Amino acid sequence: MLTLSLPDLFVQPLRGILERLPAHAGATLEEIRIRENRPLEIGYAGRHSFVQKDGTLTGDYRTAYAPGRDECRALLERVTNHSLYAVEEELRRGYVTVAGGHRIGLAGRTVLDHGAVAHLKDIAGFNVRIARARVGCAAAVLPGILDLRAGTIQHTLIVSPPQQGKTTLLRDLVRSISSGEWHHPAASGWGGRKVGVVDERSEIAASEAGVPTFDLGPRCDVLDACPKAEGIMMMVRSLSPEVVAVDEIGRPEDADALNEALHAGVRVLATAHAVGLADVFARPVLARLAAEGVFGAYVVLSRSGGKVQHRIVTAEEAAREAAGSSSGRTGSTPRDASHLGNAPSVQVEPALQASAQVTIKARSKPAIRSPAAVPAERDSP
Amino acid sequence: MIKFAGALLVLFAGTMIGYLQAARFAARPRQIRQLMHALQRLETEIQYGQTPLPEAIARLAAVVLPPVSMLFSDISKELVKSAGITVRECWERTLREGWSTTAMKKPEQEAMLRLGSTLGGSGREDQIKHIKLAMFQLQAEETSARDEQQRYEKMSRSLGVLGAALVVILML
Repeated sequence: MLTLSLPDLFVQPLRGILERLPAHAGATLEEIRIRENRPLEIGYAGRHSFVQKDGTLTGDYRTAYAPGRDECRALLERVTNHSLYAVEEELRRGYVTVAGGHRIGLAGRTVLDHGAVAHLKDIAGFNVRIARARVGCAAAVLPGILDLRAGTIQHTLIVSPPQQGKTTLLRDLVRSISSGEWHHPAASGWGGRKVGVVDERSEIAASEAGVPTFDLGPRCDVLDACPKAEGIMMMVRSLSPEVVAVDEIGRPEDADALNEALHAGVRVLATAHAVGLADVFARPVLARLAAEGVFGAYVVLSRSGGKVQHRIVTAEEAAREAAGSSSGRTGSTPRDASHLGNAPSVQVEPALQASAQVTIKARSKPAIRSPAAVPAERDSP
Repeated sequence: MIKFAGALLVLFAGTMIGYLQAARFAARPRQIRQLMHALQRLETEIQYGQTPLPEAIARLAAVVLPPVSMLFSDISKELVKSAGITVRECWERTLREGWSTTAMKKPEQEAMLRLGSTLGGSGREDQIKHIKLAMFQLQAEETSARDEQQRYEKMSRSLGVLGAALVVILML
């Protein structure tokens, strides 16, 4: 299982150890954390464990296997294809995406250039995040975000803390939309929609030499490793998508580009890091987008035990919810900690909250003029 | 008659040894020059192409002639083929094993080995600096190799013929 998903990233003896992991951990593996001369750790099914030399799991870090300097050096070379110089841009952002869409976060010493991070050196910490396609995981979500009148989806923001499966859900949503698996009786005749994916981190499609390695359906175009803001504009200008999917929005220029796409009649499917809706309304850029009534639906992912649960919230409900909750939880609890409940925390600044209350309004969305959509609209009740 | 044939054989062998030695003296600066061309190409690949190292080294093999090109193609093949090998190990092993097939000597090998231990392990600027340094050293070696060529190429040729002649005279 593991050897299939991580072909030759790891070298002996690390590889042998990971191959001997218990089957249940191997099948649900999410993270492999390698730190030089420190215990080897894996995250699986929402839990974490240290790994001993024979591949068995343990809670005691003292008996765990600690990868040495040579192994880490060899791993770094495999990760960067022996060429640190060719991944300078990625190092500046702190991660490298390898074949298969696995993202490897790196920890080391930063090298500064005029006060900005130029790249990393002395890299001694790796966090290998295993990318998995979960075909069908969007089946329960998609009917909830459809825009039946326009014959497409609503502008949707998928929200969750890190590591809950945002990208996995986005990937499957893209696949369902572009292949026309709507899972809704009214949408059965719609067919697939043209989807444009701006894949800044190469995680959604895991393109290799321009061709997606994950199944994204027949009507999908991918701009690989492209900055989101520019990518959205390029998409709209030249690839005529009906739906644009982007991962992890949060910078001001992203919001501008999203607004631009919106007015070009394109539906947007985006993800963002946030613990809940209260957090969405607390993050400046997201709050602005939400206040402008950009998103028609929010999908909030949360995890209990090993299962991911989702909750679909419409814009109106979201606005009410955000205005109603007087205290947002600041900072997330670790997802493998037992649930702590809503501890009282810092109050959201009154001024910000008041302005959010006043300005939120849901706005009507431009209908998409797609020839395929017209008969479908007539058919739908 | 047999004596005459033997003398001819000795004369021929001696001359050949001399010529071979001379050819080695002539080949050394030429091969160093090729190495320098290859490094120049590598510099471009890293600076402008940001080509991954295995592919960049494979391209180097195309710009130079054998036997120097063999070194590069071996390194590149090895890097692609065997999982977990580092550039430093691979570079060092191939250069040590294959060096005897070339006419080059110890100092240029040292310069190349030193380059190999840094290759791929740092940022672009740093890589360029290391390559420049290696080229600088190779340039110095090329000058000395040309010097040696001028001094010893003709000499070893005539030495071969004359040495053989001496053996023949002693035998007769």
